[in-house]
Amino acid sequence: MPDVYVAKKQEKVKDMEKKSERKSVTQLKAMVEKIGGDSLFTSFASFPKHICFQTQEDEEAIVLFMRQHFLVNTPWIIMSIFMLTLPSVFAFFPPYAALSTAMQFVVSLGWYLFVSGYTLAKLMGWFFNIYIVTDERVVDVDFKNIFFRKISTAKIEEIQDINVQSSGSFETFFGYGSVFIQTSAEVPEFEFVAIPHPDRVGKILNQLIDHEEQEKIEGRVK
Amino acid sequence: MEVLAFLDNFSLMTLVKFLLVTLLTVYAIFALLMMKQISAMTKAVQMQDDYIIRGLGVLHFGFAVIVWILSLLPAA
Repeated sequence: MPDVYVAKKQEKVKDMEKKSERKSVTQLKAMVEKIGGDSLFTSFASFPKHICFQTQEDEEAIVLFMRQHFLVNTPWIIMSIFMLTLPSVFAFFPPYAALSTAMQFVVSLGWYLFVSGYTLAKLMGWFFNIYIVTDERVVDVDFKNIFFRKISTAKIEEIQDINVQSSGSFETFFGYGSVFIQTSAEVPEFEFVAIPHPDRVGKILNQLIDHEEQEKIEGRVK
Repeated sequence: MEVLAFLDNFSLMTLVKFLLVTLLTVYAIFALLMMKQISAMTKAVQMQDDYIIRGLGVLHFGFAVIVWILSLLPAA
């Protein structure tokens, strides 16, 4: 009989913990306004519902999901369009004109294949270069090329300094910039480059640090 | 003798075709790697409708294989 009583108490403690966890996320939701949508190509979203990452814990909530501003894709989009038009001038090159019609067809297709590969690689570079801020940590998914990817994390309590930078006419006009986070974690600096609303991100990170400190004082240590 | 016969039949077109097939073979492997990387990344970060980006990877690989097969045809 005493065992049954203990078990009930444990369940109650677990329930209480779950409730306090939810309460903590609710508090964060009250502090951070809902911005952006959950669409596939979004550059900025707060509390996205349909996004999760591999190392995310059960009760961990994503506060911010960010990518570089879509405008950073302009150079490679223009380049891709330019490259798509090139086969129309291939015929003026004597080596190409000397090829058989079938071979010309394969060479042209090969060129379009190369352009599609270039476009996809550039799209992947933007799409998978992700910055995530959860209620517990900061996650930086670096995707430089198809052979290199790195996922770095640092706990919110390890953040030491936050710098927000917005320089240049484009960044000022379109409202994007960079956030540099110094940490005491293994990765000393996190760089959120060319993200929309950098000031807001800096403010939210500061709020999260305050929230984490408050939780420590209150005794809920995760 | 066989070597000489081969050299007699060897033309610039043969060289171009050989280079093209080699290049497209390497490219098809690259496209496969790209598809695998997309698959790994979409597992690392799961998003709504991420099948679109996975589909783009598969399409690109399919395109690479089709062009490679076309380059192997005798007419090319």
